[in-house]
Amino acid sequence: MAASKRKRGGEGPADKKGKFVVDEGEAQVETKKATRNEVLVPAPVSMGKWTNKERVLIFSSRGINFRTRHLMQDLRTMMPHSKADTKMDRKDKLFVVNEVCEIKNCNKCLFFEAKKKQDLYMWISSCPHGPSAKFLVQNIHTLAELKMTGNCLKGSRPLLSFDPKFDKEPHYALLKELFIQTFSTPRYHPKSQPFVDHVYTFSIADNRIWFRNYQIIEEDASLVEIGPRFVLNLIKIFQGSFGGPTLYENPNFRSPNLHRRELRLAAAAKVREKQMVKELQKIKRKEAKEDIDEDVTADVFVTPNEEKPVHIQTEPPAPKVVKKNKHKAFKRQRMQRGRR
Amino acid sequence: MLVLLSVFLGRNFCSTTCFRSASLHFLSTRPASYMPTMESAEEESLHDQSSEEEAGELSDGELQEAFSKGLLKPGMNVLAEKNKKFVNNVGGLKQCLADFRKDLPWVERLDMTNLPAEGVLSKPEEKVPAGINSELDADDDFQREMFFYRQGQATVLEALPLLKVHNIATKRPDDYFAEMAKSDQQMQKIRQKLITKQMILERSEKAKKLREQRKFGKKVQIEVIQKRQKEKKAMMSAVKKYQKGMTDKLDFLDGDQKAAKNSSDASKKAVAKKGPNAKRKYKDQRFGFGGKKSGKKWNTKESFNDVSGFRAKMAHDKGARKGKGGNKNKRPGKSVRRKMKGRS
Repeated sequence: MAASKRKRGGEGPADKKGKFVVDEGEAQVETKKATRNEVLVPAPVSMGKWTNKERVLIFSSRGINFRTRHLMQDLRTMMPHSKADTKMDRKDKLFVVNEVCEIKNCNKCLFFEAKKKQDLYMWISSCPHGPSAKFLVQNIHTLAELKMTGNCLKGSRPLLSFDPKFDKEPHYALLKELFIQTFSTPRYHPKSQPFVDHVYTFSIADNRIWFRNYQIIEEDASLVEIGPRFVLNLIKIFQGSFGGPTLYENPNFRSPNLHRRELRLAAAAKVREKQMVKELQKIKRKEAKEDIDEDVTADVFVTPNEEKPVHIQTEPPAPKVVKKNKHKAFKRQRMQRGRR
Repeated sequence: MLVLLSVFLGRNFCSTTCFRSASLHFLSTRPASYMPTMESAEEESLHDQSSEEEAGELSDGELQEAFSKGLLKPGMNVLAEKNKKFVNNVGGLKQCLADFRKDLPWVERLDMTNLPAEGVLSKPEEKVPAGINSELDADDDFQREMFFYRQGQATVLEALPLLKVHNIATKRPDDYFAEMAKSDQQMQKIRQKLITKQMILERSEKAKKLREQRKFGKKVQIEVIQKRQKEKKAMMSAVKKYQKGMTDKLDFLDGDQKAAKNSSDASKKAVAKKGPNAKRKYKDQRFGFGGKKSGKKWNTKESFNDVSGFRAKMAHDKGARKGKGGNKNKRPGKSVRRKMKGRS
């Protein structure tokens, strides 16, 4: 088939351009077969309408675990306007990321950083000069989880849903704008699908941002969760991309290291307290006990007993009458019964 | 930036050992948010961090100088750190937002901000916080997820008409085949899992029902047996009563229609009727209080003329005396006995 395309002289590349539109799988192949006699396949309707050139670079540093890797892959699947890159070495400073973005011609960036193979931090930034924010990511559930039963078209455009609390504070308003620009798929993007069939929700609870992704099943707004889902804990907002003056610092944020340290200290303090108590007890026991001074007046109320007559026994005492314990059998039976 | 509080304890300040231990103590209890090492190295340059310099300030010589100057008072001095101020540059944030904002038409962004929708079937147990100020409890999983769900629903309900206006479709036609975010294999796995869950549920339901039934069946069985035993007992006692003649009604037989039982009982009773009754009847008649009396003990013409019971020998004293005469072993009389006695 490729050979026949080339024979027609220059139709190959033109066809390819035709295929540039939204890929309609089998339908496309059929139309191609039908139009083999035609000279040119008409260009797609949306040609030239893609104006919002938003590109997001999604990559990570070294030392991430499988869950983070899957989360990144899921985000790349959901966002057709994303690009991937290799892992960045930890040795390089963070502003190197800006250069990587420039090379890839991206103007937004989602950078995942894993520390101690336990904590995952996410940077979201607008690359040349824009603001950036750092989050701690928790409670990650990926697309592959079997409890999330929804499905959506790959690359379809999402609806974005925000909590009204995002409008109340200036830092949340800035974050909202950042999320909108990063997560919304541009219209007429070549890899996007024309249908809108899923919705992202961003909500604020417990000073954290909760992200959920739902599939729209019916027109009456019944939803099923697709995934992924995660929780973002804001750390700082910077004026520049991966640097610059701090615009906002989250007072409620406690570093996971601190948290672990506090737990360990608490446990250690408990053990130490127990030890101290034990030592105190030992010391008390081994202490030399004080001698009590003799009290001269202690004998004041002592009165001697009356003299009793001394009785010498000449006869042996009468044998004690041994009363037969009638209940012994019953008791034994009772005990046996109890044992059984 | 360190503020030294002096706590008067009556101890001499100049004992350096005492102060050393105190300094170590408060160094360990300084909250770690004060230390720069917890945050990433890049941010260090962003703060003007001076704790390293302050650590250097706590050398003996400098302290003694400070004391002599009168800055430090006697007693135990404990380091207390100032309340850390968290950066919140509201002006800067707003400026940044203004610079950064891209005024795209709604069709490009497709974003909505709304409160969670009230469902058509909103149940009273949900208690989803609807107001903008009500706090959502992040620990109550169900409430939290329902909040997110309702928020999504509200968005969809608001956005669908807008999308229609802009001619953006939301329903995928049936012949439109395209790659999905989750592969078919994944969807198969999900379907399998759901099916197995369903089956397990059904099986457990069935097992529960069976157990209940068995218990119930056992109960019913016991009841039926007891009922039968009771009936049998009642029947036997009724029969015995009739046999002994306490009741002469056969009503208890109408309950169960057993023909053999019926016939055997009837014959027994018939025999029982004729036997003793005739003799009893005659005796009663003659001697008893019941029966026909009136003149049965008087002679009638026939009984007077009836000489069948006449024995001539008996009448003339010629018959053999039954046992009264000829008593050879007759005892002599008193006088004879006295005479005999006197003689012997």
